[in-house]
Amino acid sequence: MEFSLSGTALKTFARSITCLARIGNELVLQSSSSQLCLHTLNSSRSAYQSITFKPDFFDVFSVSGSQVQCSVLLKAICSVLRTPVASIDHLAVQLADSDASKVQWALDCSNGMKKTYWITCNIEPDIQHLSLDRRKLPSSFVVRPRDLNRLLANFQSTLQEITIISTQQSALPLDAADQIGGKAVEFRSYIDPTKAKVKLQLLFSENDSSLHTQLWIDPAEEFVQYTHTRDPVDVTFGVRELKAFLSFCEGCEVDIHLYFDKAGEPILMAPKFGIDDGSFSNFDATLVLATMLVSQLRGGNSSEPPAATTAQQGTKGNTSEHPSDHTRIWSELSGSAVRYGNAAQDQPVPGERNQNTNEHTTIQRIGAMNISMDKNAGGVPVHGKDFHPAETDDTRRPEGSSKYADHSLSVLVKAHKLTLSCYNCSIETNGHAPSQHHPSNWIDAEEDDDDEGDDSELCVQSTPPYS
Amino acid sequence: MSSAAAVDTEADLVCELDSVRGIVDALCSVRWKRFQDALLELSQHGIVIIVEETGCLQAKVYLQRELFIKYDYAATGRPRFGVSLGLFIDCLNTFSVLGRSNVLELRYPGPDMQLMLRSVDSPDACIYAEIRTIIPETISWDYNFEPAGSTPLSFTVKSAALKEAIDDLEWPGSSIQISLQPSPPSVIFRGEGHGDLQIDFNYYVNTDLLIAFSCDRQVSHRYKYKFLRATTSNIPASVLKDNRGSKATIGRGGMLKIQHLVSVAKPSVPHPHIDSAGYQQPSRIAYIEFFVKPEVEEKNGCV
Repeated sequence: MEFSLSGTALKTFARSITCLARIGNELVLQSSSSQLCLHTLNSSRSAYQSITFKPDFFDVFSVSGSQVQCSVLLKAICSVLRTPVASIDHLAVQLADSDASKVQWALDCSNGMKKTYWITCNIEPDIQHLSLDRRKLPSSFVVRPRDLNRLLANFQSTLQEITIISTQQSALPLDAADQIGGKAVEFRSYIDPTKAKVKLQLLFSENDSSLHTQLWIDPAEEFVQYTHTRDPVDVTFGVRELKAFLSFCEGCEVDIHLYFDKAGEPILMAPKFGIDDGSFSNFDATLVLATMLVSQLRGGNSSEPPAATTAQQGTKGNTSEHPSDHTRIWSELSGSAVRYGNAAQDQPVPGERNQNTNEHTTIQRIGAMNISMDKNAGGVPVHGKDFHPAETDDTRRPEGSSKYADHSLSVLVKAHKLTLSCYNCSIETNGHAPSQHHPSNWIDAEEDDDDEGDDSELCVQSTPPYS
Repeated sequence: MSSAAAVDTEADLVCELDSVRGIVDALCSVRWKRFQDALLELSQHGIVIIVEETGCLQAKVYLQRELFIKYDYAATGRPRFGVSLGLFIDCLNTFSVLGRSNVLELRYPGPDMQLMLRSVDSPDACIYAEIRTIIPETISWDYNFEPAGSTPLSFTVKSAALKEAIDDLEWPGSSIQISLQPSPPSVIFRGEGHGDLQIDFNYYVNTDLLIAFSCDRQVSHRYKYKFLRATTSNIPASVLKDNRGSKATIGRGGMLKIQHLVSVAKPSVPHPHIDSAGYQQPSRIAYIEFFVKPEVEEKNGCV
């Protein structure tokens, strides 16, 4: 395999390497006569990125035989590209064949220096290929990188995971006083409750969970395109990888197309080129991220978790449809209940307070109650108290799976007071028309009074004006 | 200072310099470790500062008397004394205030053989310092640099490029081989560790890069990376900005000599008649020399 490139293509190539280096540690180069594919899978197998280049992307491109491939450390390639791209005239890469022990990277610098690197290929590389058909992911949106940057700027820069809640855009005229009105998408910070608890114990934590943010977005204003014509779904995934891909798209001056299904299903990101996807460009990129198995909307009621490892998935998981997909809790929390649930406003939930003051109440229970509420017009929870979290304990972990499989309910039981109070608020405030300023959407000091005092540190204190 | 007149006759050297910043830059360039002792040697020609890593690497900074506004040398012979390099640099730094022209007087020896520093011409403050000196224990290892043959083996390269190459050569994690070959005329740096890296400077390709080249036969020697790195790691930014060249020469036995030029400019308004940024009056240059011994296999050479 031999290829060489310069100019803008070299800049794109360098940008690709930077992005890949932010995702995984090992880079696989696979070249055939029709393309060069670079891909990487992160160590926890929750993120996979692949970037492919067509032959005309390069100044020179030739492959001996049908396919040549090798695997190298991304750190080594980053060392090669330490030389500023602006001072490189051209880069040439040579690999004799798939069995070669080293791959040669030669830089001709504009100042006259010639630098030649020989990078050792990994023996017995773990070459995983993932192909996820984006057409199987029913929802998607397209956003400009600078707009997404601006939205993410509202979140703590150290935020590790984010939840995107997606609902159907309403076609009806909206009364802004009554509801959020057209803000069909919500971005919400996700703080791993186990890490939050650890912070209290250790005082020093990289996961500073002191800022929680919820952002309601009108897709018509913020997104270039938005497609979601079904029930509300949410996906929770890593911010680091999202930002890496965002930087990549920003540098390439293309919009980001994000495809998703629901919690537990992987999401896929790709650049959106011109009018026809891909036809105007000689390179393409795909980032597939695993999402958290537990939905933020219904507390893990989704059934058998599909394998969290994206490397094994080519199809959607085997989650079955549940009536819980219509849960009202979500509606109230994000405030677009008017479209979906009328019962929430009519039915007070007796005994709710008692349950919430019970330290062992799990989200699962609340979810179960709402399932019951759907089914029983009377609104009295039938299964609630008897529901055992163990029944949906998702502790089964496929080998090598990501941490997403760890979000079993037993974890949620221990340190979830924060989330509990969310649900607490939403259930109590039946009868109020949900709106962006709905109290249920704010976790404030009044609600804290209902909670156990010793757990109050986990509750987000309200900002001063509200206390 | 009423006793100044009396003290002057006793001092070996009283000198004044107006460009403390430049002297600090020159001294910083020979700083590769946190704690280093420097040997100062005074003569009628100027001051030489010698820093050494025992048996492996030596650096010299030449501050000619022309760099000083005043240079009163009254000693017989060449007094030598040692000071902590870091301490000396830190002390000089306290005297140099950015944006202000300040004159510093250096005096040796003081009543207790110390090195004395004093600010002169400062209207609102007087800064005064003394640095304890050490009797040098041993005469510094004589890095007697001798030419390798009748034709010198040397090349002059842009300092910035040399620094860039040496920085890149950290990656292989091995000692560095430097080769000169007459045809095609080129200098090759090579490291072979967990990965291999070769950097070529070709003379005919770009004469902006290799400013000068002299070589009549192929030579090749290996040098420990950390000592090679020390020769460029603290090159002052002014050297890189001024686009200066550094000269490297291979002497007998493979000893490598690397020379840099550091401008010791008075911090004043730019000269109206000079438009080239790199121009400096010749006497406003400090010379830095590094001597690196080649790596010797199986001998108790450099650690």
